Amino acid sequence: MNGPLFARTLAWQRTRWLIVAVAMFGWGVLVPVFYAAFSDTVRDLANSGVFPEELMSFGSGSLFTLPGAVTLGTQHPLAIAMLGVFAVGATATAVAGERQRGTLEVLLARPLSRTTVYISITTALLMVVGVVLAALIAGFLTGAALQGVIDDLPLEHIPLLWANGFLLWAAFATFGLAATVSFDRPGPPVGLTLTYLVLNYFFEILGSLWREAEWTQEYSLFHHFQPAEILAGNVDPLDLVILATATVIPIAYALIVFPRRDLAAPS
Amino acid sequence: MTSTTPAPVIRAAGLTKHYGSVAALNDVTLDVHQGEIFGFLGPNGAGKSTMIRTLLGYLHATRGSAHVLGRDIASQSVEIRRLTGYLPGGIALYDSLTGEQVLDYLARIQGRAAYRRTELVERLQMSQTDLRRRVRDYSRGMRQKLGVIQALQHDPELAILDEPSEGLDPLMQQAFYGILTDLRAEGRTVFFSSHVLSEVERVCDRVGIIRHGNLMAVHDVRELLARRRRRVSIQWRGAAPGADSLPGLVDVVVDGDRLFGTLHGDVAEFVRAIASPSLEDLTIEPASLEEAFLEYYADEVPAGTEQAG
Repeated sequence: MNGPLFARTLAWQRTRWLIVAVAMFGWGVLVPVFYAAFSDTVRDLANSGVFPEELMSFGSGSLFTLPGAVTLGTQHPLAIAMLGVFAVGATATAVAGERQRGTLEVLLARPLSRTTVYISITTALLMVVGVVLAALIAGFLTGAALQGVIDDLPLEHIPLLWANGFLLWAAFATFGLAATVSFDRPGPPVGLTLTYLVLNYFFEILGSLWREAEWTQEYSLFHHFQPAEILAGNVDPLDLVILATATVIPIAYALIVFPRRDLAAPS
Repeated sequence: MTSTTPAPVIRAAGLTKHYGSVAALNDVTLDVHQGEIFGFLGPNGAGKSTMIRTLLGYLHATRGSAHVLGRDIASQSVEIRRLTGYLPGGIALYDSLTGEQVLDYLARIQGRAAYRRTELVERLQMSQTDLRRRVRDYSRGMRQKLGVIQALQHDPELAILDEPSEGLDPLMQQAFYGILTDLRAEGRTVFFSSHVLSEVERVCDRVGIIRHGNLMAVHDVRELLARRRRRVSIQWRGAAPGADSLPGLVDVVVDGDRLFGTLHGDVAEFVRAIASPSLEDLTIEPASLEEAFLEYYADEVPAGTEQAG
């Protein structure tokens, strides 16, 4: 790993990741507030039968319990969009963007192997993903404390919650990084990674809303991150293995492909 | 006792790069020696940048091999780039950083102190104020100057420069040529690509001519200049003598008392032959290197399609 490149990658993302981290923290604070304020109302609505049962457990989350609300908070489209800024935006443009701008030329004129370039950028961006996710969880805890429901969140499971969530988003991030080292323009890697993210999300939501399509959830990475189950102490190690595999495969691909690519002069 | 010749700084043997069926570089064999300024000349798309990018590991050779500073380009590319300074053609830098930040950042990654930065900044007339401005506010010439500084600030053993004078004004071009000749005087080696023949004529010791990915020839520049044709214009009082009495003169055109032609042969012999009291005026104008190369291409290169470079 190269220290200056690692630091530069962090600095390059500085404003964006600080804004997203603050936004995620704010979102995290709101989730327990919604839970405390509306869980009884939502329960009454659910019991009234006005809404289908499936709709009350959107994406395996619910407002009936705080862990369920946390699940909802992590799978809400708003959270997905904010975390996706990094998993798609930052990673998929990281190398292809430098390639398009021509700055990769100057970087690779230094005594850096492409493996070192990839590892330095990947480490920095995964760290950012980890920090942003930590901000979200810190928001959950802060909101729960403010609402006086902190006891509903078993703190001993919080590190595992972060680790599982990190693996989920690391899988998307490394996919984006594998795509970015494969192209000379950021458009294709952004498109590919966005498609990958949306498909995974679609399979998870489709399966949660439509019983007959429940099998599709197995093919979604989102299905292997269940905060409610983790907070209840029911972690399925297979979920971690699947997410770790989905993270490692793109890394292996990038480490094979990037050093072997011909980098023609930017046009 | 045996004498040893130092290994060439760049040695390419049958270096070939194909993009699919297109040969961007075809069987290039070339030695560049320590302490020389080697110009790599050719029209756009001839293969100049492909050669440089293959030497520096951006591209992987299809066939052949090359060593730079004794290191194999296929397996020791990182070490080559540690000892080399590279200015890419049409350089792009980090727009959001100041010039100084760019130089500091690249020096840190290079892992060698920026020994030459102060000197280069002075010679290329970049002020501290310039260096504190963001690169996005730089003119093209300023960017090029910053590109030259980043390539040479760590005092590399070999400088590889792709179209280095592009964007520099004439004054800065002179300053840049001065930097190159000083590097040569210190035993550094410079390999630069150009399609500007006048700058090759001005600074290079040897020149390689590339076209369609083929290295057509390698010449000593002084030798090439000595061999070039000269344009001659002579005016006599009275009628001009017959062309067959003027040794080495071809393409003769007579216009009244004035005669025009191209001199191929020895200048001294020609001047002796035309010396007479009736000689009114004589102009011998050396053809530019550009014309010499154009002649060269016209004579030796078969017509073909342009290929990727």
